Amino acid sequence: MAKTDNGFEHMMDIWQEGQDAFLKAQKEVAESFQKTITPFFDQATSSENAPYQAWQEFIKTWAPDWDPSAIMDGPSSAIFTQGREAFMTMLDPSNWTKYAPEQLREILQSVAQGPQFADLATPHIDAANTWREALDYQKAAADLSKVLQESWTRTYLRFNKTHSLEDLQSGDVQEALDVWLKSANHELLETQRSAEFMDAQKRMLRASVEIKARQRDMAEAWSEAYQIPTRSEIDDLTKIVHELRRELRQVKRELSSSKAKSKK
Amino acid sequence: MMPVRRNASGEPVDALEAATQAWTLAWGQMIETGAKAIKSNSFLIDTKQADVEIAATPSETVFQIDKVRVLHYRPLAKKKADTPPVLICYGLFGRQTMIDLQEDRSLVRNLLNDGIDVYVVDWGNPTRADQYLTFDDYIDLYLGSCVEHVVESNGGKPITLFGICEGGTFAAALAALRPDLFAGLALAITPIDFHGEQDEFWRGEGFLNSWIGNLDGDDVDLLIDTYGMLPGAMTGAVFSSLTPIASMTKYNIGLAAMDGNEPAMLNFLRMEKWIADRPDHPGEAARQWLNELYRENRLANGTFEVLGETVDLSNINCPVLNIYAEQDHIIPVSCSKALGKFVKAELYEEIGFPGGHVGVFVSRKAQGVVAGGITEWLKRTQKKKQKKSKT
Repeated sequence: MAKTDNGFEHMMDIWQEGQDAFLKAQKEVAESFQKTITPFFDQATSSENAPYQAWQEFIKTWAPDWDPSAIMDGPSSAIFTQGREAFMTMLDPSNWTKYAPEQLREILQSVAQGPQFADLATPHIDAANTWREALDYQKAAADLSKVLQESWTRTYLRFNKTHSLEDLQSGDVQEALDVWLKSANHELLETQRSAEFMDAQKRMLRASVEIKARQRDMAEAWSEAYQIPTRSEIDDLTKIVHELRRELRQVKRELSSSKAKSKK
Repeated sequence: MMPVRRNASGEPVDALEAATQAWTLAWGQMIETGAKAIKSNSFLIDTKQADVEIAATPSETVFQIDKVRVLHYRPLAKKKADTPPVLICYGLFGRQTMIDLQEDRSLVRNLLNDGIDVYVVDWGNPTRADQYLTFDDYIDLYLGSCVEHVVESNGGKPITLFGICEGGTFAAALAALRPDLFAGLALAITPIDFHGEQDEFWRGEGFLNSWIGNLDGDDVDLLIDTYGMLPGAMTGAVFSSLTPIASMTKYNIGLAAMDGNEPAMLNFLRMEKWIADRPDHPGEAARQWLNELYRENRLANGTFEVLGETVDLSNINCPVLNIYAEQDHIIPVSCSKALGKFVKAELYEEIGFPGGHVGVFVSRKAQGVVAGGITEWLKRTQKKKQKKSKT
């Protein structure tokens, strides 16, 4: 639970905790490295044939699962699978903090809406917004997926009601497939009409567009930094040209109309 | 213990024999399907882009304004029909190539074969440079200029405008704003009342209306502000979701079922070519389409404006033919039929096509019902009606 209602304070706590953990880990790593490397270094330098062996043992001290032959077994080997899982876990924002996603979302929202100083950069606000948007997208995707999963479950139950195992044992694959597809279509159409689906899809659309908008902001900042015309600047020019052409056509139309009148 | 299975006469069935029969039948069906799939795949491997050409009926560009062109089709019949020229106007969510998919499924060809003089609007390929175009531009400037050109080519006499889907909405609005330009107005699968009679919707009908109605104005604004355009890929995905299982199975079960049949496969591939060529919709016009029409229903409410002028559909004073599809999953029947409430009864006719949204143009059945219906209506209502238009 949050200690107070001050989201900015919580945000600072999170960063402070992260910073402390990082510095502590750096210190421990340095100490551990020193302790580990010294005996191997001594051993490696004492014999002509020992360096490779010493290196292997040194690596195993740091990564017990390390096996050079694993590389030859391809990316599906356990060591890579574990690594991939760890990597994916690391990417999941909900694992970055001790706060529950909804609680974190509130904190981020509060930070994003916090006070700004005129002459100071506000990266914390951008970071909080980006983080919140990533959480929103993740939640929206999960919610929509849940609605659709439930729809497929209902399809299965409906199919099971109309088709017994005995029917399937008749061997008429085509008939069973036709019934299955018909049931699925019926159920998916029903689901798509439900308020639950509509709302989930709306949130998903909103979340994905917000991420796209953030990407656009990043591209704008990048273009700005490298003296490249930004999308917004080109859009502004397009709008000016569009309005000018419209005015020109209006003037032309009025001119030809007044010419036609004067002929009469 | 397994229960003893019995046949319809109550005699016990040998379980092993029944299982063997089922197994044999299942394998037979699967092998048969596999063989069909192989035939279809072989056909795909041997097919080249040139084999699936669409919109091949000869035409020439006779007018252009910005990216918008008017194509004039060369006559195919020896005798010209005694009717005004027809200008066909498709919407911006797909391409007009759908009305000339292939030789035996072509509205354009059918009209030409009946001696009708046919023009078609090609909206071009809008990009972000076109994002600020609104319905003022599309209805008054672009479509208005195209119609003026064809009227001029017709010796200043009014013409028939045939609007399809969103193009039908443009056409109806223009016919209400500038009625002197028109000898007739034909519409197909066109939304007029964007809310429709929701109590009458069948399952699968009106999803698009409910889906857009469920969005907030802010959602639409965020989408358009972010992308600049309404991405074609996004509208394509929404259209696919309207027929979920058909969309999921067309590249596997559907292809296998075609059994390598050449006409069916080529027709399928031409449709795929048309579906894949989905342009982005100019952003500001899309914002109006979604907010002013779909969400606020301004056209039916009489509050929709073009260049500051309110569009009053009761101003339409030429014969009107309104074609709707009875199984249309994109534009509900009641959304199209609503036009009948605005047009004088003696001027208004309907054709209800027993098929879906696109089937109105590309199905085999449509070739006679729709094209034949339009020709018959043109000849009946617009013969000798030609008089000078006030362009």
